Order: sequence, then structure tokens, then C-alpha cells
Amino acid sequence: MANDQFSLAGRVALVIGASNPVGRAIAVALAEAGADVAAATTTRSQREEVAANSCANEFWALNRKGFAAAIDAADEDDVRSLVERAVAELGRLDVLVNAQDLPFAKPLPDVTAEEWRRVIDVNLTGVYLACRAASVPMLAQGSGRVVNVVSLLAERGVANASAYCAAQAGVMNLTRALGLEWARSGVTVNAIGAGWVEGSPFLADEESRRRLERYLPGKRFARPEEIAGMAVYLASDAAEYVTGQVMWVDGGALSHV
Amino acid sequence: MTVLDKLSLNGKIAVVTGAGRGLGRAMALALADAGCDLVVAARTRAQIEETAAEVLAKGRRCLVVETDITDATSVNAMADAAMAEYGRIDVLVNNAGGATAGFGKPLEEITDEEWRVGIDTNLTGTFYCCRAVIPHMLEQGGGKIINLTSGFGLRAGANNFMYTSAKAGLINFTRAVAMTYGGRNIQANLIAPGLFPHDNPAMMEFWRGGKFIPMGRFGQDEELGPLCVFLASDLSSYMNGDIVAVEGGGLAGGHAPTGLAPVVPLEGEA
Repeated sequence: MANDQFSLAGRVALVIGASNPVGRAIAVALAEAGADVAAATTTRSQREEVAANSCANEFWALNRKGFAAAIDAADEDDVRSLVERAVAELGRLDVLVNAQDLPFAKPLPDVTAEEWRRVIDVNLTGVYLACRAASVPMLAQGSGRVVNVVSLLAERGVANASAYCAAQAGVMNLTRALGLEWARSGVTVNAIGAGWVEGSPFLADEESRRRLERYLPGKRFARPEEIAGMAVYLASDAAEYVTGQVMWVDGGALSHV
Repeated sequence: MTVLDKLSLNGKIAVVTGAGRGLGRAMALALADAGCDLVVAARTRAQIEETAAEVLAKGRRCLVVETDITDATSVNAMADAAMAEYGRIDVLVNNAGGATAGFGKPLEEITDEEWRVGIDTNLTGTFYCCRAVIPHMLEQGGGKIINLTSGFGLRAGANNFMYTSAKAGLINFTRAVAMTYGGRNIQANLIAPGLFPHDNPAMMEFWRGGKFIPMGRFGQDEELGPLCVFLASDLSSYMNGDIVAVEGGGLAGGHAPTGLAPVVPLEGEA
């Protein structure tokens, strides 16, 4: 069957940012496709810890192995220990999903250097830290899949979100460079460019939300599950010849002028 | 329903142009594996009959329609035949296309006729097929369109004019389809394959064994099958006007002679 190539049975996935709706949907979809999953937060907030635990409940209910972990995705030791724990408890690491996400928007003159660094550290440097940590088992076993989640703001700017936009674009080109660097190693590196997802903090203002909804060709925002299918594709054998790419799942947003 | 169940295409009807060989045949067979009944269209009857035999062997129905996608009358007749046989079209894969006479020539040597045939084969043919099929999709409440562009739709090559212009045109054509029909449950997306020589020794030699591709190898036709199923399925419900490139990494950097930066230390460090 065609969908045999999408099966992730026997694989181990680590999803950082499984505490946000997109990361959670990806973690659950990977589990549905057969993978055991380690689900980590983006920050150590209590809200995120609860969300990651609830995500783990979903894949445990599918009889998959795995755990939830509260980490700071910008902390080098946290990220390295997380990867080591995934390998120790689940036996290996096949898929790394970088869905860590720290949204932030403020007019640039008001952005403190500390805020700027924190946004870049979590959204961009955190991806580097996770890729470097995961490279240890993945390059050694000669196979692996890195799936970075970026937003439309990697490709299009939006007023008041300069730091976040810069970080997202950084992840996008990190994906290309690392895809090339590891092209002959058996480890692929790709990104999912997620369109506007229901529940995004950038959609909190009701008026701009309504305007944006009308602008989209399909007149609706994505459900988190609709982003997750692409993660299963990129994590699976079906995408063996795909690397260094950004796959947009945007409901036509980038088709628009 | 799990994520893998959403890949099922049981009972769907798919039209694949250029289905007689190569990527088109591979995608038609993958769609049949996922549960589709097929319409296989191409100019060369003997080749689509071979594809059809393989589809039938999988227990799916298959209608063979000799079609010239550069001829609107022929395309309309193909869509009519598909509707007469099955009563609906859920998936349209616009795969037919390729290099035509004049490919490899410098601009000043290309004739009007060569230009026209190149654009017709790689752009206008997809317009004809979409024009013939979309009204049926609208009537039945939706559908999936998968157009085949190329790495050459995103980047250019020397002495490659008609193909690269048409394939680039196809990208924005597909976005316009997505913009126009996205609100009526039609999703149109693109696959951009890299170099797939279809085991043809001359092509493999021409492309120097694919050694310059970052992954170090060509694509295999079968590698597009699962992706085609994904784009035809509910699993890609929020993709519209989007491109999936399957090409071993070349687009990430370009096939430059130096694909690897030397070590450049930070200034002031030992």
C-alpha cells in the first residue's frame, strides 16, 4: 500500500514545543503513524508543562512509549540532556521536530536588547542547539529526520514583529544550509512553513483577525492537525529524497499578492 | 481515524496526464494503490495501455484515453470520456510535459513554432486540462489538482527557454487557481521534481551520474508516488498554491562548484 511508506512504526521522535497547538498536533500525528515520542516544552512555564503532559497522555493512549519534559529550549544543557534522555529511554532518535515557539511583538524602539536576545535565543538558537544535540545519534546511525516548523513570518514581514520575523527567517535558511551540510549523511533537514493557525497569539486582535480571514483564499485558518500531515510525510520514508526545503502549508496565503 | 487512514483514496477518481511512463506512471500506480480508479491520458496509446494493465492488476478500474494536451478539443474529449465512465473527477494530476524541439538552443535560433510548442506542452496543456475538469469539481463540491513544475520552474538554465519559462508560469498559474477556487474546496498544489532520468542511460550520462546533486544521486520515479497520494488526500487539506520540491537538496543552495564553505574562524580567536 502507498501509505506503508508513511509508517513510522519503530521510530523515535522528539518534539520540542509539543506544548503549543502545532507541536502537539505533530507529536500526536507522529504517534498515530507509529512513532514513540518525547514531548518537550519551549519554556519552563507551568502552563506549558501541563500542556506537554496532556500531549503525552494522548500518545500513551495510543499505546506508544514516550515522556513529557519541561525544558527551556534556549538552554544548552536542557536541550542536550533532553536528547540524551530520549535516546536512553526510547532506544534511539530518528526524528527531531523543532516546534519550539516564543511569539513576541512590540514596536522596535520599545524592544529591549534582552527581549530581542530572548526571542532569537528560543526561536533560532534553540533550533541550532537541538540540531547539534540530535546530530550525535543521527550522524552516528547514518539516518535521521529534522523537521523545523517556521511560520509565514519567515517569508513575509509584519509590523511590530521584527525580532520574531528575523528569528523565523533565520530558521528557514538554517534549514537550507544544514540540509546541504548533511545531504550525504542520511539525515535530511526540512522545514514546514505553517500558515495562520487557529489560536495563534498573532490573531488575538479580533478586527485584524477578521480582515486576515477574509484575505485567505480558503477564508479560514488552519487547524493544527492540518499542519501535522506534512510532518509525517517529511519524517517518513516517503520523503527520503527531500532535503533543505521549506514546505508551505498555508492555505494559499503565499499565493496572494 | 488516524493520520495514516487519511491517506486513503478509496473510491476516488484520478486523472493522470502523461501516465504512459516515468513519473506519470509511477504516480498513477501509487494512486491506484491508495484506492483510486484511474483515467490514464497520454499521446502514445501503447504506453498508457501498459500503465492501465498494471492498474487493473491492482484491482482498480482504469480508462485509457489517447490525449494530446496541447489540443483543447482532445483535452475536452478526455474529460468528457472520464465523466461518462465514472461520473466524477476527484483528482487531476497534470504531469504531461517535457523538453521539446529547440531545447538546448540559444535564444536567437529558436523558431516561433518551437517556442509555441514548448509553451503549449508545458503550460497551456495544463490550462486546458484545468479548464475542462474544474467545472466538474465545482459541481461535485471540490477536488484536488496536482501540477508538475520542475526545479527549472524556480531556477533557470542556459539554453533552456521554453521549458523553464513554462514551468515558472505553471507555478503562478497554480497559485491563481488556488486563489480563485480555494473558497470552493479545490486545492491546487505543485510538485517540483529534481532530476529523474527514469533509468534512461543517455540522460544519466548527460547529467554526469547526478554526482553534483547534494545528496549525490538522482531521484527514482517511485519516490513521487507517496507524495502524489499525500497531495491528493485529506491529509494535505490546508495546502493550496504550495510547492513540494523533491530534488535531493539542489534548490537549497544551487549546484555551485563550491557547495561547501571552508572553515572561516571568528576574528580575534585562535
